[in-house]
Amino acid sequence: MTALMRYHAALLLRSQRWLPPFLLYAAFLAISIQAGQPVLDSLGYTAAALLPVAAWLARVCVTGEPDAARGCVAAAAGPGRAHVACLLVALAGATALGTLAILVVTLLSDPVASDHSTRVPLAAACGAGLLAALACALLGTAVGALTSRPLLRSPGRAVLALLLAALLSLVATGSPAQAAVQGLVTGSQRGTVPLPLLPLAAAALVMAAALALAGALASRRSP
Amino acid sequence: MRPDLCLRDAGRRYGLRGPWVLRGVDLTVAPGRLVRIEGANGSGKSTLLRLLAGIDALSEGRVTGRPRTAYVPERFPPALPFTAAGYLTHLGTVHGLPRATAARAAGEWLERLGAAAYAETPMARLSKGSSQKVAVAQALLGEPELLVLDEAWTGLDTAARAELERAVAERTAAGGSVVFVDHDPRRLAGLPDATYAVRDAGVVRQEPSRAPDASGPHVLVEVQGPPDGRLPEDVRRTVTSAEETGPGRYRLRVPAPHSDVLLRTLLTARPPWHVVSVTPRTAAPGRHG
Repeated sequence: MTALMRYHAALLLRSQRWLPPFLLYAAFLAISIQAGQPVLDSLGYTAAALLPVAAWLARVCVTGEPDAARGCVAAAAGPGRAHVACLLVALAGATALGTLAILVVTLLSDPVASDHSTRVPLAAACGAGLLAALACALLGTAVGALTSRPLLRSPGRAVLALLLAALLSLVATGSPAQAAVQGLVTGSQRGTVPLPLLPLAAAALVMAAALALAGALASRRSP
Repeated sequence: MRPDLCLRDAGRRYGLRGPWVLRGVDLTVAPGRLVRIEGANGSGKSTLLRLLAGIDALSEGRVTGRPRTAYVPERFPPALPFTAAGYLTHLGTVHGLPRATAARAAGEWLERLGAAAYAETPMARLSKGSSQKVAVAQALLGEPELLVLDEAWTGLDTAARAELERAVAERTAAGGSVVFVDHDPRRLAGLPDATYAVRDAGVVRQEPSRAPDASGPHVLVEVQGPPDGRLPEDVRRTVTSAEETGPGRYRLRVPAPHSDVLLRTLLTARPPWHVVSVTPRTAAPGRHG
């Protein structure tokens, strides 16, 4: 599995196809987040925007390998394992990006609640932001996994489904990502730091299910 | 000893209601066997190879005894952001080799196939033939138990073709199985242990075409063993004929791809045999001696 992940990570990094989602994320954060804003609000934005980026990154990873090259790897390591490794690399990329963004945004923000007077502990806020970002990365990768090969193979339909699913995951009540982000926003209004463990666990479950499904279908619905 | 790879009543179709590409396929590939798959264009040969290589799952039926597998696709894309050596090292580790061993094996195979000069070339800049060499090298460097070749010879130059034939002989001599498709009927002529034809979504075993004198190029090898020496069993299996010309002296006739394997077996036997002469023969068979 380590060898597979190293191969997919090298494929992603050298292809430079990670650049557009990363740039989009950076641009979004640069526009929507300013220094000196309440920390939990800014972290909420940072985590929420990570979800579509993670979904896009998963799509980039899954579609980046030519069919014949995928066949060679699938014969050597099994198609399911190869596909899961590919998605885990996407998740690792999204998590790394989210962690970096959360740390930078925490340093730039003011340790206050929405009313700009109640103090909020910065370290705890940063921890809550990291957990929320991880939940969004997990759910976003799951969205990307479920809306690309092997489940949806036509690019047009797949991209449309990806956008729709990412939007729904962010706004629909009951979605772990929505719960995690909402927790940060509510916490900012009340001046308390939430601990979004439940949304994180739910997002991890969704991601595990998506991995299992996509991995199982990898050999059934090809090329 | 690893078990045979068996497909039982195997079928494959694309989609839930698509037409059956293959159905009711029973096929066994034992260790050390060379199997040829024939069939017209679009008959499902490639699908069968993908099932054997474990790339596609069966839509129905069972598969047992899946070995460590490597696959060479028909067309290999150069659209990978690696150098040839870098890609092969990655694939070597995916095949389970330690990183240093994989890098060394990558270099060796590129050299054997005559592509050592391209080791550090980005794959996007390789010619079609050179990227096919990379495809062949990635499959061979892991010393797989099952090697699946989908028209792997297409696009290779003459020297690399012969090298791939020798590599196939090495794999089978080492107990690996090789399954191949090639549009050239003379490819490894007379050597396959079994030939199957894919026809009407089914697979039919062809009558054994293994003539004692195969039609491909041959090599005559004269060897001298101890006066009462008997040929090692591995040698008897490799040669097409063995003629005793004196006490412990034999004239062996071996298909050209197997000649290196034969010499290695003789020279590393205990006690080793003395190789008196090696003569390549491209003439029609059956007229030697």
